[in-house]
Amino acid sequence: MRFDTVIIGGGLAGLVAGISLQQAGHRTAIVSTGQNALHFFSGSFESMDEAPERLKTLFAGAGIRLHYSAGVRLMPLGIFREAALSLEDVSLLPEPCFADKVLILGIPGYLDFFPSFLAEGLEKQGIVCRTSMLNLPESVRESPAEIRSVTLARMFDRNWDRVVQQVRLLLKDEDGVVLPQVFGLEDPSVPERIRQGIPARVVFAGTMPPSVPGIRTQLLLKRRYEVLGGTYLGGDEALEARVEGDSVRSVTTRNLDRHALEADHFVLASGGFFSKGLRSNPFRVWEPVFGLDVAYDEDRNAWYNDNFAEDQPYMNYGVRTDEALHPLVEGRPLRNLYAIGSVLGATRPELGSGGGLAIRTAFHAVDEILEAV
Amino acid sequence: MNPQEKTVSKHNFEECMKCTVCTVYCPVLQVNPRYPGPKQAGPDGERLRLKDPYFFSYALKYCMNCKRCEVACPSGVKVADLIQAARIKYDKSVPPLRDRLLASTDLMGSVARPVSRIVNGVTGLGVTRSVLDATLRIDHRRVFPKYSGRSFEAWLKRRAKEQAAFPEQVAYFHGCYVNYNNPALGKDLVKVLNALGVGVQLLDKEKCCGIAMITNGMSAQATRNAEHNVASLRKAVSERGLKVVTTSSSCSLTLRVEYPNLLGVDNADVRDAVMMATRYIFERLEAGATLRFRPGFHKKVAYHVPCHMERLGWGVFSERLLRMIPGVEFMLLDSACCGIAGTYGFKKENYESAQAVGAPLFEQIRAVDPEVVACDCETCKWQIEMSTGYTVQNPISILAEAIL
Amino acid sequence: MDPREFDVIILGGGIVGAGTLRDCAMRGLRALLIERADIATGASGRNHGLLHSGARYAVNDPESAAECIRENRILRQIASHCIDQTDGLFISLPEDDMAYQRTFVDACLKAGIGAEIIDPALARQLEPSVNPELIGAVRVPDASVDPFRLCASNMVDAKLHGAQVRLRTEVTGFIREGDTIRGVHTRSAQTGRTADYYAPVVVNACGVWGQQVAEMAGVTVGMFPSKGALLIFAHRINNTVINRCRKPSNADILVPGDTVCIIGTTSTRIPLENCHRVSVTPDEVTLLVTEGAKLTPSLSETRILRAFAGVRPLVSDDSDPSGRNISRGIVCLDHESRDGLKGLVTITGGKLTTYRLMAEMATDVVCRKLGIEKACETATTPLPGSQGRSYEEVAREIWEAPSTAQKAAAARLGDVVTRMPNPSRQDEALVCECEEVSAWEVNNAFERMGVSTLTDLRRRTRVGMGTCQGELCACRAAGLLAKAQDCAERERADLLKFMGERWKGSYPIGWGDTLREAEYTQWVYKHVLGL
Repeated sequence: MRFDTVIIGGGLAGLVAGISLQQAGHRTAIVSTGQNALHFFSGSFESMDEAPERLKTLFAGAGIRLHYSAGVRLMPLGIFREAALSLEDVSLLPEPCFADKVLILGIPGYLDFFPSFLAEGLEKQGIVCRTSMLNLPESVRESPAEIRSVTLARMFDRNWDRVVQQVRLLLKDEDGVVLPQVFGLEDPSVPERIRQGIPARVVFAGTMPPSVPGIRTQLLLKRRYEVLGGTYLGGDEALEARVEGDSVRSVTTRNLDRHALEADHFVLASGGFFSKGLRSNPFRVWEPVFGLDVAYDEDRNAWYNDNFAEDQPYMNYGVRTDEALHPLVEGRPLRNLYAIGSVLGATRPELGSGGGLAIRTAFHAVDEILEAV
Repeated sequence: MNPQEKTVSKHNFEECMKCTVCTVYCPVLQVNPRYPGPKQAGPDGERLRLKDPYFFSYALKYCMNCKRCEVACPSGVKVADLIQAARIKYDKSVPPLRDRLLASTDLMGSVARPVSRIVNGVTGLGVTRSVLDATLRIDHRRVFPKYSGRSFEAWLKRRAKEQAAFPEQVAYFHGCYVNYNNPALGKDLVKVLNALGVGVQLLDKEKCCGIAMITNGMSAQATRNAEHNVASLRKAVSERGLKVVTTSSSCSLTLRVEYPNLLGVDNADVRDAVMMATRYIFERLEAGATLRFRPGFHKKVAYHVPCHMERLGWGVFSERLLRMIPGVEFMLLDSACCGIAGTYGFKKENYESAQAVGAPLFEQIRAVDPEVVACDCETCKWQIEMSTGYTVQNPISILAEAIL
Repeated sequence: MDPREFDVIILGGGIVGAGTLRDCAMRGLRALLIERADIATGASGRNHGLLHSGARYAVNDPESAAECIRENRILRQIASHCIDQTDGLFISLPEDDMAYQRTFVDACLKAGIGAEIIDPALARQLEPSVNPELIGAVRVPDASVDPFRLCASNMVDAKLHGAQVRLRTEVTGFIREGDTIRGVHTRSAQTGRTADYYAPVVVNACGVWGQQVAEMAGVTVGMFPSKGALLIFAHRINNTVINRCRKPSNADILVPGDTVCIIGTTSTRIPLENCHRVSVTPDEVTLLVTEGAKLTPSLSETRILRAFAGVRPLVSDDSDPSGRNISRGIVCLDHESRDGLKGLVTITGGKLTTYRLMAEMATDVVCRKLGIEKACETATTPLPGSQGRSYEEVAREIWEAPSTAQKAAAARLGDVVTRMPNPSRQDEALVCECEEVSAWEVNNAFERMGVSTLTDLRRRTRVGMGTCQGELCACRAAGLLAKAQDCAERERADLLKFMGERWKGSYPIGWGDTLREAEYTQWVYKHVLGL
């Protein structure tokens, strides 16, 4: 099967590249090994503030709104972090003390949200906190072991008005409310409706994965990509590449077996270790599809910092590239392949990390590909 | 190999990172609070079952084996395989008569087909459906697939000579549905393949692929069918050098994936030769073959990728094929389960949850309002037709209509 | 009566201390146990979890072997919910000397251990994971024991008999009058508060740290700490203990324990001052995997969950004046007869399997000193949770159709679950998904088992011991603990400490899926949670 560009990896980097190329009239395919890191997304693009215009346009086309304002955001364990470019459900606050009195609402049997930690963090800012619980319909509570963010979000998508009612009843003299980020999985308008309906400042605090805003973003970006005619091969895995000289000719996948995907350009957006973009055993770290050069320490003892809280060297490992993000094989670049996102690790620190890295490098690869045509 | 150079064991449940993504995409979990979910039923539960089979939970029967967890898993864990394998290994209960009847699609077919007019009349009657509901707990709201008066096998046998005359040959695993319920689909396939210069042969003798037996706790019988079918496939593939096509994504998945993974029946030598007809046709067209399309053909088609087609990863072939038909206005539906999952939705206790699972898909179909819904799975067809009133066609049938 | 006065004070919350506390309490003594950290933090919690049949010692140390088999039989009765009756195999591989098998079996039989030579084909059938190239096999009554559960049950039962326990309390010195120990000075590790406790007898059950404690009292106990490294595999490969039938050596025991299996061990002499910080080196990992794969080839392809090391409390033999000879057996020292110091007893050496016997010996000495004549009953009185019913029976008694988490709770707590208040729906929420631990079980541990940190909780419930090593469950448990103790700030620090402790066991084997899990955990904790 022939495409203009084949993208390996269906996470944020891959989808941003795929959508941009489809919009430019390219025919592309994305090979995605299952779902991706957007499912664990905090909702904020670390290392980015004001969104570049093309990113805003791209996300708006998919129905996703981004925002940024200087200040802080509230993390799930009651700590504040500096504001970053965020999805609209992440509340960006000018300062940590965002209200005088705050009502923190948990959900019975839902252990992935942490009212005690939040209360302690807010009280440290001089905010008076009260904790209470939202009630759930009996049917959901029948399976307490499966009360997860997504279960709740699916239910609240249909019953958001009842959440608003309940919060209004529970609210006494508080001028702030903290709710878990479990709103708007399929209906992106729900978080805003809840904000509108409650006569206090509503702040959504994150939960343990899966991330509702992250999954919604993934669903919307994938839908946008498919509407633009992109071919999303989900649950498939790129196995190996056919390389001639300094160019990639085709890639085979597990599901399509002998039916290789041919293209003029290839984009490697396969992620880090978790996503298997990089693999490891006791002896080495490698990139499995193209056998690219990987920057890592030969001595395994140097892979780790024994302090969990410190930066971990292995998380900086990534494929080596030239300036234009062409990955190297034995020091020589593959001219029609681009590495983007976390598979780069921290080999290009100037491009940031996480979501910021994914977006910057995706746009870079898109520009290079379009220019080459 | 050095120790620890590679660390993946059978069903690779250790690759599970506990990321919970499978629980997001499990359609059963969304509607059935008694189901522990793919993560717990699969990789988590497996560790406990290895300690003591006592930790097996009968709630695993709620898994409808749609494999969406496997498609979603970022780690490639064979979650549904783990669950079904555990059921095969540990579930010692005898499936009820109802389940055995529903699972015996070929037996039911061979009994019902010769008297199809009566059977269709009877199963269509409200009173019969009430009786089935009360006696066998087959939900009375279900519309039964019709049985055809003449089997596809008999039809094709009579054309064996004419088919043999084509320069190239392919074998067709038609499955129970085409044979007993919808021979027209088989005939459509023959028309398309003939137009490509390919003759169609039957396998020596095919039996039901066994997928319904696997999910209904009849693994011993499923294994016997698997052994029989693999022997037949081997004759076609190794002795006659043929490719084998199917028009059902569930049959394809079973023949290729479930036989080795769940039933322990080795199919390594024939596996690659078995494929969906849409893939076979697409590959021929890509290699330069051509079809002559009817001028003025027009159809608004919304394509639903069946769960097992998602697992095979071959929806792209049907999609590409439909898109290349001049006059087809194509729309890809969001990836979602229709809720029927083979025989699952026929059971009275599952009716409500099956309909709830399918609801978002039905809504989208109504919103798109196509002329037909395209889909490579017969049970999805029944479910979508019953639930939405829209006609569902196999992509092969749409293709057959569109060519001269 | 002064609440600071007791009949006996036991130092050390390992299995020997817990067993001694129980025995003393059952003989009617007012007993207090003081532990610097938490239960089973030393060698008691850092071993294979093997309930020895004694076979391993039969050739070289027949006395220990005989003790082991006697205690093995007793513990199967009184601690049934802590024991998985797996049986054991001693296998001979082509490179092993078959003559040794004969010597081994004879020695076992002589020690009273039912050792039976079986056909290698039968061994393969009994334990499909065993190296198929084996040329000989002997079946012995080895079993697997959960040391944390055993230790906790002893403590719980001691408390039911009126004993008291002070965890996270350090002994800073002895209260001494002339040649008599009268009690101990202590300091709380949490609050820094000091307190004195008095008793006519103090038992030093501090394992490898017993030397320092003895020094504090002015007597010598010569410890020879020996480090042993072990690896935990992510799931249970074998259901029978597999040993190598040869002279005891490195990495020749593979023990199935709960949802995992453990290969070990190595043996390296280390200085006493390093006992607090033992870690596993890459060479040890390689050795364990390579040797372990000879017992069960699949070890070389199975994900490793954790590496850890423990320190064996080996003691110098009092009968050898040079102090160079090591006793492998139980050492019970009455410092009055040995050193002229009244009121101090040291119980050390021995093994997990013989903890009860050690406790009995120490308690006998204590009773003799106190002039109490009451026979030991620990050999016949079951621990709470082990009242003779299987976990299936226990679960069936409470639940019509128990969920997997309920079954798992019954397996962990035995019949204790029948006496716990019924869980509310909310309590059925899972904290640890890998090990199926519900909020119900976690809250029970908070209320009844003296938990103040996540690590304490782990030892009592298995929270954080599963495949994700805390990624999913530690946070949830921390949320519950912060609420239960109303101290979120301390709990946030505790959470980080717990994850740090988990990481220490992961990075020595940080590759493949374990490295993937580590990366995922880093994301969740640093980027999602913002720690």
